[in-house]
Amino acid sequence: MRDAPARPVSVWDMPVRDASGPAKPSDAPVGDASAQAKPDDAPIRAADPPEPDAKQAPAEATPADDWAPFGEGGVDAVPARAEDASGEADGVSVGDGAAVDEGDADAWAPFGEGGVDAVPAQAEDASGEADDVSAEDGASADADTGAASAEAEDDLDEADGAPAGAEDVPGETPGEVEEELPAEAAEALTAALGALRESVAGLQFGLDLPGAEEARQARADLQAQLDDYVLPRVRTRTAPALIVIAGSTGAGKSTLVNSLAEKNVSRTGVRRPTTGVPVLVCHPDDRQWFAEGELLGGLRRLDKPEPGAGMRSVVVVATEKLPQGVALLDTPDIDSVVEEHHEIAHRMLDAADLWIFVTTAARYADAPAWNLLRLAKERGARLAIVLSRVQPKAREVVLKHFVRMLTEYGLGEIDRFVIEEAAVTDGRLPDSEVTDLRLWLAELSVDDKRRAQAVRKTLNGVLDSFRTRVPALAKQLELQVAFRSELRGDVEAAYLGALTEVDKAFRSGMIIHGEVLARWQDFAGSGDLMRSLQLRKRPRSSQAPERITAFRGALKAGLESVIVAAAGRAAEEVAGRWRHRAEVGGKLSEGLERPSDELVRHAGRAIASWQEHVIELVRTEGVAKRSVSKLVSFDADSLSLIFMVAMFSGGRAEGVPHRLVKALLGAESLRGIGSKALSDLRARIGMLFDEESMRYVQALDSAGIPDESAATHLYQATYNLEVAR
Amino acid sequence: MTTVTTRPGLAPRLSALTKVVELGPGRLDDKLVSEAQNLLLRAGDRLKLSSEHTVVALAGGTGSGKSSLFNAVSGLELSPTGVRRPTTARTHACVWGLEGAAPLLDWLQIQWRHRFARASALDKGESQLHGLILLDLPDHDSIRALTDTEADRLIGLADLVVWVLDPQKYADASTHRRYVTELAGHEAVTVFALNQADRLSAEELAELVIDLNDLLRREGVEHPSVVPTSAVSGRGIESLKSVIAGAVSRRRAAIQKLEADLHRLEQRLTQSMPVGEALDVPASVDEARRMGLTDALCDAVGVPAVGEAMENVYAERSSRWVGWPYPRWLDRFRPDPIKSLRLQDVGDEIRGITTGSVSAQSAEVANAVQALADGLTGGMHPVWRSAVHRAARSELGALPRTLTEDLTEVAPRLDRVPGWWRALKVWQYVLVAAFGVGLVWLGVGLLLPGRLPASLQLLGDTAALPWVALMMASVLGLGILSGIASRNFVELGASRERERLEREMRRRVASIAEKAVVEPVERELGRHHAFYQAMRSLAG
Repeated sequence: MRDAPARPVSVWDMPVRDASGPAKPSDAPVGDASAQAKPDDAPIRAADPPEPDAKQAPAEATPADDWAPFGEGGVDAVPARAEDASGEADGVSVGDGAAVDEGDADAWAPFGEGGVDAVPAQAEDASGEADDVSAEDGASADADTGAASAEAEDDLDEADGAPAGAEDVPGETPGEVEEELPAEAAEALTAALGALRESVAGLQFGLDLPGAEEARQARADLQAQLDDYVLPRVRTRTAPALIVIAGSTGAGKSTLVNSLAEKNVSRTGVRRPTTGVPVLVCHPDDRQWFAEGELLGGLRRLDKPEPGAGMRSVVVVATEKLPQGVALLDTPDIDSVVEEHHEIAHRMLDAADLWIFVTTAARYADAPAWNLLRLAKERGARLAIVLSRVQPKAREVVLKHFVRMLTEYGLGEIDRFVIEEAAVTDGRLPDSEVTDLRLWLAELSVDDKRRAQAVRKTLNGVLDSFRTRVPALAKQLELQVAFRSELRGDVEAAYLGALTEVDKAFRSGMIIHGEVLARWQDFAGSGDLMRSLQLRKRPRSSQAPERITAFRGALKAGLESVIVAAAGRAAEEVAGRWRHRAEVGGKLSEGLERPSDELVRHAGRAIASWQEHVIELVRTEGVAKRSVSKLVSFDADSLSLIFMVAMFSGGRAEGVPHRLVKALLGAESLRGIGSKALSDLRARIGMLFDEESMRYVQALDSAGIPDESAATHLYQATYNLEVAR
Repeated sequence: MTTVTTRPGLAPRLSALTKVVELGPGRLDDKLVSEAQNLLLRAGDRLKLSSEHTVVALAGGTGSGKSSLFNAVSGLELSPTGVRRPTTARTHACVWGLEGAAPLLDWLQIQWRHRFARASALDKGESQLHGLILLDLPDHDSIRALTDTEADRLIGLADLVVWVLDPQKYADASTHRRYVTELAGHEAVTVFALNQADRLSAEELAELVIDLNDLLRREGVEHPSVVPTSAVSGRGIESLKSVIAGAVSRRRAAIQKLEADLHRLEQRLTQSMPVGEALDVPASVDEARRMGLTDALCDAVGVPAVGEAMENVYAERSSRWVGWPYPRWLDRFRPDPIKSLRLQDVGDEIRGITTGSVSAQSAEVANAVQALADGLTGGMHPVWRSAVHRAARSELGALPRTLTEDLTEVAPRLDRVPGWWRALKVWQYVLVAAFGVGLVWLGVGLLLPGRLPASLQLLGDTAALPWVALMMASVLGLGILSGIASRNFVELGASRERERLEREMRRRVASIAEKAVVEPVERELGRHHAFYQAMRSLAG
């Protein structure tokens, strides 16, 4: 940072510096800035803050030079602590501890705490809050004078947040933080992330409900981001920062990368979209890490572009022109006709530590560009914007308008770079156009802590985003599960309705119509009925078996038709209800609008065996009435038929068949047989309908819907992650 | 203003579309129907309005230079250009030859203050543009456009769309996915102007044009017309003008556009309801199916069983009239189980079954109707299938009752006693009396041979006794024989009656089925047929 050339002081600096005049801490920094850049010093300093006795220590022992640069990390923690202040300060300390993993990270995490501590200390000291804010501004701004103006903007951001934290946070937090074992915390975080990955990986959204496609996409994105970025990043935080350059097709992403690398690493040209294979450019020292690292582990590494390499690979190029510790990734576009590009670009953005968003003077109002910016804002990713291809004469107007749009979107304070339209020679811009950007990179490279901050900010943003993204997935899952149970409910309701319908048909005497009625009349009117009741002494006269068979056949057909009609209506009702619910319901019910082909056969079999059962019942239990059996013997076949007619005649208890069987069997026995026969018939029909409804259940099961516990697992994993942080 | 002479083809296809729209609701996706309605409306409106004018729209992404091109073609600074994006928020129009254009501009909803006229008389050499209405549309891809459908609307209405592309954005998904792939088949009324060509070198331009052509072909635009232009240097403006002028002078763009739209819509309609085998589905219910339905409904009513029952009951009852009386009398002495169970009334009731009642079993009726619909809708689209089912079931609720009521009218009267039964009964009793007389004679002859008065001497004649016995045997035999014979007659008559009854019942069932089931089904089948005929003629 020392050799960072003097930069134009941003507008933010001026008032800040004035305000900072009275504030004490802001005096020291410039001189010290050199010292704090050295990683060696940092651990030593890091050891200091936890020890300091009493509250005045933070303010003095770690003056502005220390906490201002790290203010970012520290202040980041403030909102979290503000939330947790009441309950578990542990959760916070875990998150912070996790950062204290190795190397440089050691340095800043404790400092972060120190920084936060300093804030309340100052707040108590100072007379008014407004003064404090300006004091901090001054501190940060001065400490960073050499840094990018944007840094100052960020600091202001934090300063805004700080007083709030200062009010809420009790002063004694620092001690607890240090007691945490960083390694364990990191492990806990990794474990929590691993668990999250597990529960995300197995998810499937089988039903094409509205939102399912998005959920599938979101799930794939989430998993890719966990694999490509979050897990590797949590494991090794000190890795070089990956800066992803994204933007519209034709915005000049590849040209920018080439110009920064001073080497034609990525193809440029007039064809759109130009870049097909992502290109990663880094310093030779970092090459190893990117070539073998886990970051973007799913992509194949290539040394140079190969024809047909496809989108699932990344070309890794090393150049000394790029500073150490930062790597540039040239991505495909986000808005060309090649949709595959959008997907891979988003995947890369998901794995980025910092985003550089490139747009042009002609494009800055395009909808896809703003969608991407919105996404960056949601994710809390560190972002810089490059507006390229600006006509020099239009620069003022365009820039003003663009900045206004950015401000309206709440992105007014992001680092911005303007590149004027210039002759592109050999795929590169004139060096003068990219100087600012190169400096920005160089600062990131030199200042490990700033880089670590940026990395951490993005990582935190991503982890924060899980708070909404994972529950959103879980919500969709619940939707699917709920939808499935709704569909199941439809099936159950329809077949329950069918059963009721059949019952009603039994009770209303609907069976004793048509052929059954005619056969009954035949049976009764032709004297067969009388003949079937014989006096005991008499041998049986000739029967009319064919008539009885026909009668029984008619009864069977009648029952069958009632069952088939009810099942048909139920099938249609299920299909109709499913279709009505959603399009996917209609698709699921395809081929299930009619009862199954076996239904008629099965129903026939069920009825026949029921009839056998009734004959048996009549034969074994129907001999109750002594007085009758002395006088009359009867043919069980015929009597069972009369019994069935009586049973299905409905409310007409005074009907002939009813009175007849009552007289023959006795009221008691009749009731017993009646209820047994009816419940047996109901059970048989219920089984038939169960078989029918199983077809729908199978269709549902084959759609592949996870069970209820998957959503719970997701919530659990999210919660565990929050705890681990 | 003259009426547009439509090439044979558009008019019949539009009327086919009208038919589709008429028959489609409830069968087609609502969105498609409303789109078809919109197209019909639009076609009607456009064909009514000036055919002398051709509406050419400059469409494209923000910053591609639509307004610059608009100004370059019109030769005036009419539409504001700028570097701020998006620049144009309202559509501007420039008219070459104002006469008759106003209603068209009203229809396009171009605001008055954004209408400009180019008096073509003043422009020498531009007479070929006479009749051009050039529109400068707002962009369709900026964040502003997300809430503004102006560009969409006018792209749909314009006769010819010039897509203004530029080297930076020519492959944007927002243009290609949303519009170009949708416009397949619109080659005749779509021009691609590759603007800002001045930013590229000649080689780059050539490469880009090739790439753009490839891209468009891949998207289904088979013969894209791509014109490189530069609003800044003026290059290519003339060729763009001549392309536009060609379309304007042919005065066909409006019709071509409608044809292309129609084609597009037709494809989507066909996709959602392929004609395929649909026209093979019978348009009416054939004889075999009618028979099948009638049979099934007869079974539901139990017509054969009713006939059989009638026959049996008839025979049973007839024996009481025409049968040999002696066994009947013997039966009386047999103990009656009904009597011993004290169920006299039940026995009476059973014997009193005098009218065979006929009724329809509603579940069987429902199954019969269902089977007919199932058989007819084999190759049908599910939507039509359920429509036919609905039609078949339209009167199902009342059908069993109608059948029951109608058939009860012809139900056989079982207590009918024909005259010859009575005669035969008399004859049987006469025979019984004769037997009795013989019995008396025989008794008298055997027991009181000599004590008879002279007037009855004949009875005592022992020589006559064998003859008397013979006569008695013959009387008994005659009784048996006439009993058997008349029973046969009864059965013959009953089976004839049964045939008549079944025929009559069938006739009635068939006529009810025709009215309550076949007719509604045929209406729906006719609709189905007409719909697919219209679809076919829509395809041309």
